[in-house]
Amino acid sequence: MLLRRFALAALAASLVMPALRAAEPTRADAEKDPILKAMLTELDRSMASLQLKDFQKPFFIQYRVEDIDDFDTRASFGASLGANRSKARVVRVTVLVGDYKTDSSTPRGDGVAELTTVDNDPIALRSTLWAVTDQAYKTALAAYAQKQAELKQVQTPPQADDLSHEKPVVSLSAPGALTLDARAETDWTARVAKWSGLFRTDATVKALLPDIEYSNATFHARSDTTRLVNSEGTIMRRAETVYTEGFGVGTQAADGMHLDRSGASNGVVLSDIDSPEKFEKHAVELIASLGDLKKAPVIEDEYHGPVLLSSDAAATALNRLLGSSFMGTRPRLGTEARTGSAFASSYHARVLPDFLDVVDDPALATWEGKRLLGSYDIDDEGVPAQQVSLVAAGKLENYLIGRQPVRDFPQSNGHGRASVAGPARPMPSVLKITAKDGLSDDALQKKLIDLAKDRDLKNVYYVETMGGPLTPRLVYRISPDGKRELVRGATLADLDLRALRSSVNAAGNTLWLDNLATDIPESVLAPALLFDDLTLKKANEKNDKLPFYPAPE
Amino acid sequence: MDSLYFDQPKSSTARRARHLRGFVPLVLLAAAAAAQAQQSVLLDTMSAELDRAYKALGHQPGDTRQTPPYFLSYTAADADAVMIRAQFGALVGSSANRLRSVDVQVRIGTPQLDNTHGDHRGSAVTNIQLPLTDDKQAIARTLWQATNRGYGEALDNYLRVQTEAQVRAKEEDTSPDFSTEKPQVADARPAPPVKIDRAAWEERIRAVSRVFREFPDVYQNMVEMTVQNETDYIVSSEGSRVVTPHQEARIVIVSVTRAEDGMDMFRDQTFEAETADGLPPQAELEAAARKLGESLEALRKAPMTEPFNGPAILSGRASAVFFHEVLGHRLEGQRQRGDEEGQTFTKQIGQEILPPFLSVTDDPTKTAFDKTWLSGNYTNDDEGQKAQRVELIKSGVLKTFLMSRLPIASFSASNGHGRAQTGRMPTGRQGNLIVTSTKAEPEADLRKQLIEEAKKQGKPYGLYFEDISSGFAVTQRNSPQAFQVIPLVVWRVYVDGRPDELVRGVSIVGTPLAAMKRILATGDKMEVFNGICGAESGSIPVSAVAPAMLLSEMETQRQPQGNERPPILPIPSAKEAK
Repeated sequence: MLLRRFALAALAASLVMPALRAAEPTRADAEKDPILKAMLTELDRSMASLQLKDFQKPFFIQYRVEDIDDFDTRASFGASLGANRSKARVVRVTVLVGDYKTDSSTPRGDGVAELTTVDNDPIALRSTLWAVTDQAYKTALAAYAQKQAELKQVQTPPQADDLSHEKPVVSLSAPGALTLDARAETDWTARVAKWSGLFRTDATVKALLPDIEYSNATFHARSDTTRLVNSEGTIMRRAETVYTEGFGVGTQAADGMHLDRSGASNGVVLSDIDSPEKFEKHAVELIASLGDLKKAPVIEDEYHGPVLLSSDAAATALNRLLGSSFMGTRPRLGTEARTGSAFASSYHARVLPDFLDVVDDPALATWEGKRLLGSYDIDDEGVPAQQVSLVAAGKLENYLIGRQPVRDFPQSNGHGRASVAGPARPMPSVLKITAKDGLSDDALQKKLIDLAKDRDLKNVYYVETMGGPLTPRLVYRISPDGKRELVRGATLADLDLRALRSSVNAAGNTLWLDNLATDIPESVLAPALLFDDLTLKKANEKNDKLPFYPAPE
Repeated sequence: MDSLYFDQPKSSTARRARHLRGFVPLVLLAAAAAAQAQQSVLLDTMSAELDRAYKALGHQPGDTRQTPPYFLSYTAADADAVMIRAQFGALVGSSANRLRSVDVQVRIGTPQLDNTHGDHRGSAVTNIQLPLTDDKQAIARTLWQATNRGYGEALDNYLRVQTEAQVRAKEEDTSPDFSTEKPQVADARPAPPVKIDRAAWEERIRAVSRVFREFPDVYQNMVEMTVQNETDYIVSSEGSRVVTPHQEARIVIVSVTRAEDGMDMFRDQTFEAETADGLPPQAELEAAARKLGESLEALRKAPMTEPFNGPAILSGRASAVFFHEVLGHRLEGQRQRGDEEGQTFTKQIGQEILPPFLSVTDDPTKTAFDKTWLSGNYTNDDEGQKAQRVELIKSGVLKTFLMSRLPIASFSASNGHGRAQTGRMPTGRQGNLIVTSTKAEPEADLRKQLIEEAKKQGKPYGLYFEDISSGFAVTQRNSPQAFQVIPLVVWRVYVDGRPDELVRGVSIVGTPLAAMKRILATGDKMEVFNGICGAESGSIPVSAVAPAMLLSEMETQRQPQGNERPPILPIPSAKEAK
């Protein structure tokens, strides 16, 4: 017991030491952290001695250890469903045999993950690392043999090395922590309970919707301190925090159509998310919008023509369509493809209108005073983040690359990202889409109406916000005289990469920020987009029966 | 955009969300006030909302096609729990939580044929999380939401049941789908919130796990403590109103090794008590861990077993597991009905299925055997029926089955054994299975008889099964009628006086009926096995009590083994080892 207290004190002492990053930290600095020290000890032991007789030794070992501190509180219909504060530590071990050109990696993503101790007990932590390393090494030997066999089955050799060479880096940020005490937890639990009951307590909406079928609110806070060491000499400690407040509410229209609204506010620190007053106001607006939707007519059967996506709606669509297309994932063995993603053959080709540019910039830490969830200085493979110009004047110039290179891109550009315990993959971080000579919102609205007049259309459409990637939640029908009418039940049928390339007529001059608290946090900055020709039609989702009996008082 | 995180609330599972052998974390729970006055708000709201739903469903203006339900029940589980887990001598997790959820059961049609018929049984239960606070409006709206969903599901399934009934041949067993029972009313004090000194227990659980640092070949270990205090509240349209508390504190110690040839072996031990105060003192827990470590170090060096067919003794603990798996599961009522079931004992009521000196009862009303607490105790089952002591086998003769409210050809009523974990439809399950014998002999005599029997059969040795792990009893028709029990510790008892020899890799073959008939005598000391039993209706706490048994014949073979090598490098704690 005494020993552990001492170890904790040593860790605490290391936390208050002056910022080490500025002074180019060394391994000796890292070893002041008992967790990193235990990781390095076990890494050295494995690199030196781990070998099965008559088999090759590993050429690369990497340990990633994540400390998770998580608080989650949920409520429904005005009362708490429960709250949890939990701490966990997860290890992920990658062992590769072979060499940089051909290693044991597989398309599934490599490594083995396991829960380990939350105590700062080096023997216990090393025991987990030892058990998982042993398993990962044996798996790697089998995978390497399998891969050698597969290579003999194909005529076309792999288009790039299996693992990139990177310069080792030592980067030590302070460990993270949640700024929530027991009192704050209780307050948040009371707050989400109140929000989830606004439909019955708020004077402006309580008479509106007796048939609310669900009304939930949550607050979630997570701190993730990632420590990574690898056999090339990289040592990293990085902290990330995410705070999220969320609200969702739903009912059915008279014809049985499900109507849903939801909203979330996410941030890196607590002060970044909407204030309780602001969030509550937003929640009330969402409930009120269900009342409007309930009364709104269903969209016409099928519409082809100009559609304006607000910057909010465009951010959702652009992220969905472009985000994964830029990923420099390894293509299938035996093919000449550059990547495994949609833009595999688009290098230097035009993928967007010439007035649009796209960069992914993990180093962009704030936007208009708000911290960006997708921002980081070093990625989950220990590679420093780089700004990447993906599309310049509409042409694809680059991919998002991790440590598995693709043809013509032998180095990582610091986009190897992982969810807790997951393998790293090339992923967007802060995806920023900008337009040259973008128009103001008013000018875009005017242009939309002009298109209607030019083409003699009886109406055009404006999408204000989306539910799913291609499912608009708020859509307005706009007549040539400028009259707006809310419609419900619409889906965007052909919003795809082709539409992005050849149907965008104009874009906005202000950017919407989506801070996404997804498993791998991401930020998207996007302008409004005016499409020449898109299809909006009835979603024709199943209209369930209305409730079989009235809701309680 | 609208956030993507919010959708209809998902169902969840709390009540008895326990898992076999404790490797998987329980739904973990902890402190919050649960005063009695509060609890009646829950029960009263459930009762009022059930009433309203029962009167309204199928009776709305314009409801011409909507059949009203003939039965509706709400079963709420209010659980408070703490989980502490350690591995390699340090804490892996420690959490506390409280969770309330409700199962809504809707039945449409008639008790003779309803929406639960055949494969549709599970569809009649809808589970949803309930508010923790006694907010009437929130509770009522949550029940309304779940009842709507459950009723829609029931209408759909009833339609299918009717269609299926028209197209299929006559069923073997034409019993009704739901038994007629009197309404049950039972009041009890709700279980209190869990109160333990978490920091002290965390240190204790760590220390138990740290014992394994003395055993460098034990490459994996896990020590887990769970304390769960739960109260179930049941109301039904028949007028039942039942409150049943259940408390359990449990420590599971699991340890794993691998022999040089790749065979994986594990040992585990569990300790159960009603509350944490009743668990053994620290020295006893650490001694148990040390014994498991020593046992595994011995096992990994033990010679491999040879195929064997001869006399054997099952220790009391091994017998308890054996009877639970081999006999108990086959006496569950629903196993006697349905085309997929093996129906081993269906037509043997009144016949001798065990030697006449053995009797078997299942008695959930018993809370302890001698001084050992029995984890399979309850006052009312999960259908609200009062727990009953049931005489399953009397002097070797089969008398009845473990009955839920699902009737079978030979028995039309429940005998208080309808059990399930939250979210599942209750079925006939065991509670406390107790095997008694009128041919009990001191265990030393049993050993002498084993040697004599082996000599008589011309065998060089008999087998002594010290510990058996429960597997899963397979009773479905298309699976072999073999019981799945995994012997963990088996000794050869030589006829020539050599010392007993530990062997590894033993697996039992043969048919259950035959094995049970070959019991020659029993020991005179009863042993208790407390465990978590998994079956179609989920994981529930059970106990089995039995004396050691001498069998004239037990057929064993080598178990299939893994071929992964043991870890290449020594475990980091190896230097600390003795």
